[in-house]
Amino acid sequence: MISLVLRRGALSLVTLFLLASFIFFATEVLPGDALDVSLSADEIAMMPPEVLARRRAELGLDRPILERYTSFLGGLLRFDLGRTIITRAPVADIVAMPLRNSVALAGLTLLLALPVALAIAMAAAQAKGRLLDNAVSGAAIIGYSIPEFVTGLLLIAVFAVWWPLFPATITASTDDPLSVLLAAAPLAVATTIIGSIAYLGRILRVGLIEVMAADFVERLHLSGIPRWRILWLHALPAAMIPGLSAAALYAASLVSGVVVVELVFAYPGIGAELVRAVTRREVHVVQAIALAAAVCVVLFNLAADLGIVALDPRTRRS
Amino acid sequence: MTALLRRPAALLGLLLVATHLVVAISAPWIAPFAPTSLLDAPLEPPNATYWLGTDDLGRDAFSRLLWGGRVAMLVAFAAGAVAVLGGALLGLFAAHRRGSFDDVLMRLVEMKLAVPTILFVAIFVTGFGQSVPVLIVAVGIIQMMGVVRTTRAAGIVLMEQGYVRAAQLNGESGATIILRELLPNVADLMAVEFALRASSALLLVSALSFLGLGISPPTPDWGLMVEDGMALLESEPALVLAPALCIATLVLGINLAAEGLSDALGLDAARGGGG
Repeated sequence: MISLVLRRGALSLVTLFLLASFIFFATEVLPGDALDVSLSADEIAMMPPEVLARRRAELGLDRPILERYTSFLGGLLRFDLGRTIITRAPVADIVAMPLRNSVALAGLTLLLALPVALAIAMAAAQAKGRLLDNAVSGAAIIGYSIPEFVTGLLLIAVFAVWWPLFPATITASTDDPLSVLLAAAPLAVATTIIGSIAYLGRILRVGLIEVMAADFVERLHLSGIPRWRILWLHALPAAMIPGLSAAALYAASLVSGVVVVELVFAYPGIGAELVRAVTRREVHVVQAIALAAAVCVVLFNLAADLGIVALDPRTRRS
Repeated sequence: MTALLRRPAALLGLLLVATHLVVAISAPWIAPFAPTSLLDAPLEPPNATYWLGTDDLGRDAFSRLLWGGRVAMLVAFAAGAVAVLGGALLGLFAAHRRGSFDDVLMRLVEMKLAVPTILFVAIFVTGFGQSVPVLIVAVGIIQMMGVVRTTRAAGIVLMEQGYVRAAQLNGESGATIILRELLPNVADLMAVEFALRASSALLLVSALSFLGLGISPPTPDWGLMVEDGMALLESEPALVLAPALCIATLVLGINLAAEGLSDALGLDAARGGGG
């Protein structure tokens, strides 16, 4: 058991190392260096070559690529994400609070969406092939065909413009306590939850239907135990396993969804920071946001994996 | 095909996709105005001349709507093709070769699962600039990883089949086995994957355009139109709702067709496309 946990942990570390390398090489190496991409062609043409060379040296861009790569990795080990190119501000300071806000939004979404998705999936699985099940499947396919920004705008149109119950955009600021921030963002939370329920509900329904077709369910059925009882007491715990792996797989999509929803509602999270950083070509900020998101997803996956191991004795063998 | 047409949901999906395709292809002929021309009549409400009104720059929203799916669909279908062809070849090669190539590839697939798609493209756009080819390659590579997984799994099952064994004993080369024995047998899977990948690519491209990281203005694009019109939601809701509806119906159409196709072929499509 302990060796299994250690092995999963080590694999996550390998994944993170590969990710960090990928992020570094994709952003810094291939087409010129960070200075080229942060300045426009005109600006570079205007600058005297010696000024350009001095700025390169300041930023450490004149060093060979492998040296920069090792110092990038070394910085990561010390939780040093570098400084921005233009203002020389520490990247960690820029990313920290927005990251906290985004993680809170994603966490609250999962916390609220999982039980609802599970309840819907159970109702659908119990009525497999009948009207309710078909309605749920239809709603789910519509739900995940609509992009988050469209759902968000529809909610704004209905609940902020035509029937002004909530504010359209969020007025809370980046450093507000999470309770204030999340309370100011009911429509943003609703948007991410709707997408999550559509995705998770669909996968959980399939998981439950698969479990309900298993031999042990057949046996319980033959012993005269009613179907709802089998579903609640026997199939549900077994379906938690596909549920957990669905949630783990969903984590990365959830982050993408959160990024978009944040921009719709002006929620102060990594989404706005990311767009600002990409358009200004702040390479280090993009790297930091990508890494931070990847670390969250990998950690969440690890937790879900270990949860599955704890629930499912079969995974402990071998 | 007849099995596909007998399913009402799949038929509806095909109709939606066909309608969008026909409109996108014929946009240059049927659009009443050029999509980028400034008509000197900004923020007209919908009327007989400007069916959906005009935007803040005075461009005809209906014409932009007709044009607005072209680039997004081009990127989505091209990325879907890149993903399916590249993914199937890689996945089948891994299934045939196994060993360390397979291990490394699976690590890469898992690594991709940890990077949210929008961030993945953002990294590419930061490094390579914002252009349609960069979008196709970046979106194609992300979508490819899922295809690698499913085709590899199918390939491993096929490798155990008698005819593949026979081909191996015949001394056929690896390339021949992959292209002649394995590839034709995953064609069904590839068709379904193509539809699923194209639909999630389309969602991704629209979201990127909405964020300002995808298709660049002044190209008429639904995601960009939604972004532009957002501030005018109260006074001119059609500017936002019409392109939003177009994206949703096109993605829904592809998803319904994909689901019907995989049902008809007896495949398991109950996997999320993953946005």
